Amino acid sequence: MATKKGLRLNWLDFLVLSLIATAIIFIAYRVNVVLKYEWGWQSTLGYIIRYDEELESWVPNLLMHGFFTTIRLSIWSSVLAAVIGVVLGLCRTSHNLFLRMVARAYVELIRNIPPLVFLFIFYFFLSSQIMPLFNLDGLMRDASPTTHSIVAFLFGPPKLLNNFVGGMIALAMFEAAYVAEIVRAGVQSIDKGQWEAANAIGISRLDVLRFVILPQAIKRVVPPLANQFISLIKDSSIISLISIQELTFMAQDVIIATHRLFEVWIVTALFYFVICFGFSLAFSRLERRMQIDSETS
Amino acid sequence: MSTSSAPASASAPARPSPLKRLPIVETLQFAILSGALIWLGMRGADAMGYRWQWYRVPQYIYKVIDGELIWGPLMRGLFVTIELSLWSLVFTVLIGFVAALLRLSNSLVGRGVARVYLELIRNTPLLVQLFLFFYILAPILGIDRFWTGVLALAFFEGAHAMEIFRAGILSVQRGQWEAANSLGLTTVDTYRFIVVPQALRLVLPPLTSLIITLIKHSAIVSAIAIADLTTEGRNTIAHTFLSFEIWFTVAGMYLVLTVSLSIAVGFLENHLKKGYR
Repeated sequence: MATKKGLRLNWLDFLVLSLIATAIIFIAYRVNVVLKYEWGWQSTLGYIIRYDEELESWVPNLLMHGFFTTIRLSIWSSVLAAVIGVVLGLCRTSHNLFLRMVARAYVELIRNIPPLVFLFIFYFFLSSQIMPLFNLDGLMRDASPTTHSIVAFLFGPPKLLNNFVGGMIALAMFEAAYVAEIVRAGVQSIDKGQWEAANAIGISRLDVLRFVILPQAIKRVVPPLANQFISLIKDSSIISLISIQELTFMAQDVIIATHRLFEVWIVTALFYFVICFGFSLAFSRLERRMQIDSETS
Repeated sequence: MSTSSAPASASAPARPSPLKRLPIVETLQFAILSGALIWLGMRGADAMGYRWQWYRVPQYIYKVIDGELIWGPLMRGLFVTIELSLWSLVFTVLIGFVAALLRLSNSLVGRGVARVYLELIRNTPLLVQLFLFFYILAPILGIDRFWTGVLALAFFEGAHAMEIFRAGILSVQRGQWEAANSLGLTTVDTYRFIVVPQALRLVLPPLTSLIITLIKHSAIVSAIAIADLTTEGRNTIAHTFLSFEIWFTVAGMYLVLTVSLSIAVGFLENHLKKGYR
């Protein structure tokens, strides 16, 4: 379907180009003439990074803080979701019917209700029942400044630790269901002959999993898991509706302060695009290198 | 799914007793675990001072006044969700099909546009896209709230639909295209008579699972206050403070909707499979 000699544009090219040009002109007209929108990029960019007079350096502002919270939330949730998801996935493929039923019930329940509804229910339940048991607020009050700065680096502002951990666990429980399905598919894709050969040698089931099946399954499971990680970064924006101060929430905060609707949303979308697209490019490069390695070794 | 009633550590598989073949023990264990979890939940709620008031919930689903059935806010929300999802589905299929055609065309700009569309949608969250549509595009183009939600969902799922249609069209063998070409059919006629009927078989199962994904993602339009099931649930909770009961009811309604659709999809797939050897 590629052209043979260089750039040859046909009628479809011109049609699409003219449609795009019409759309741009129409939108520009509506924005500048009808809505009379006043563009103000400077104040928006000031909410990403600002110059602090006292410290005499550039300091991250609200949007950057939200960006960092999103990254922290994504990484911690992924780790937790991976752990829970692998356990659930192994339960799904276990010989024990009880384990299979429990895991199946959990996965089907989560995969059939909207993420928003699950996050609301679980976060509400979590923050009223489980979080008081951890008593993170009390811990933070009595902690030393070193602990505070470590916590601030790993989890974000210590004041919001309760908030953050609650949202992180809720997101992890949601994504764990999807990770479980990926792990299950990976384990079940291993040829039955491997199980039979291992059984014939007399290895116990746990050891078969550990030495024979999982090493092979992990290789197959890494690309979909990488995709799921990117999906998790996108799902983390739903957490903003439970008032956790990640990027989307901060964007709404900045809009309330500045009324720069267009600029802030465009900048926020760009932030997410850069993270997700960057990760997906990095993962595809990694995947290609893994393939080349496995083919040449 | 591999099931063997003999444990894996047995050297020679013994004849299982008839009782062991029925999953009574495991089903009992599951029932006990579910009961324990529910009991734990009730205990926790009582400790929090929460009084379960399930008897107050049905009035928000339906009322019978003077022998006439009036739907409560939750059912009305469910109807809006279904309406939203159906309209979104129409636009999703349209956008997905057009984008797939552009992606497979031999126009450089067309393929570029499809690729840019796919990457933009795949790398930004749905919530941010919804807000972009609602706060930026809706005032510019003068679209009202409900249709903004429909369009935002349609563009989001349209990227997925585009990949499904592309896979379906590409699955039709080159020989079919060449035969059609040699018969003198135009591209449009080839698509219409040869490619689409054959691609449909590969395209319908993923499309039906797209409907279910669409219904789940439709809950997000509550962020722009469209009166769908999730919004009505939140409003009802704001009135009554029956958080757990209403949330469980809303989740249950979504579950009934998606599970019944899944079952219908299963029947459809079986029916389709019977048509082909």
